[in-house]
Amino acid sequence: MSAQEPQYLATHLREALAADPRTAEMGVRVRVHGDDVYLSGEVACAERRERILQVARELVPDRRVHDELSIAHVGGRPEEERLS
Amino acid sequence: MIRIAAVGDVHLDEEMSGQYRAQLGTLADDADVLLLAGDLTKHGTASEGRVVAEEFRDVGVPVIAVLGNHDYHSDEADKITELMRAEGITVLEGEGVTLDCPGGRLGVAGTKGFGGGFAGKAAPEFGEPELKEFVRHGRDLAARYATALTGLDADVRVGLTHYSPVKDTLAGEPPEIYLMLGSYLLAEALDDAGAALGIHGHAHAGVECGMTPGGVRVRNVALPVLRRTYGLYSLEVPGED
Repeated sequence: MSAQEPQYLATHLREALAADPRTAEMGVRVRVHGDDVYLSGEVACAERRERILQVARELVPDRRVHDELSIAHVGGRPEEERLS
Repeated sequence: MIRIAAVGDVHLDEEMSGQYRAQLGTLADDADVLLLAGDLTKHGTASEGRVVAEEFRDVGVPVIAVLGNHDYHSDEADKITELMRAEGITVLEGEGVTLDCPGGRLGVAGTKGFGGGFAGKAAPEFGEPELKEFVRHGRDLAARYATALTGLDADVRVGLTHYSPVKDTLAGEPPEIYLMLGSYLLAEALDDAGAALGIHGHAHAGVECGMTPGGVRVRNVALPVLRRTYGLYSLEVPGED
């Protein structure tokens, strides 16, 4: 991806992370400040986080990609909601 | 009471095989049925469909599912459906099913549903063929869903979709994309059928609780919204003490 206005680059990168079959992540937020690219949002597991970072670094090799992603933790016995 | 467990947007792939299933140990104690609200796979491949079928087979209660947009991404939705059905999972698209639960007879109708937007802001079936096709797809699915819901011979009717029937549960999503997140026609179907509950997924950034204009409770069970293994809802059966 070539150098361009930061808001265009952020949008293109976000769309590329959704379309790339290795990532297919739609929930990644991308912010661009100068040469720095910040990725945030929640992903399901550590492997997916690594893959997103790897693909993003391939797409913008001339910028620093910062990892602000987190991994979702799901578990525990759910409580019942009574609808009456 | 009829006890319903529901979750959507589990987005399973080969890497996640077994992880979700490991959380289902108390499901059969908690609920009479498990509803899956679509986006069961990540890319919609048959291989991921196999993971889904393995994950939700023999979990101790009947499992009823609809597919989501991700499950259509690789044009293998039919194969995914076939794999799930082979493991005893009911997959609905414009159809209904009834179950005899200890508390009464539960009817569930399901569809993926589609976008199209909400009353006052809905896309019209007008203009370019591509736009008309988009709107028509949503209308067709909603019409079949409505017919399936009203046709359910049950004590309690529940609607299951991937796309949202209401705006309430989209709070947190950007309003610019509401058109892509659901359709008011799905809510109209719930209201017309006098449903007790509408379950959906799809809106990861939304909220859990909402209501149709006619007063039907709606729950967004997308896993990133629930942040627990499944939502658990108990419904009163009419005439029950």
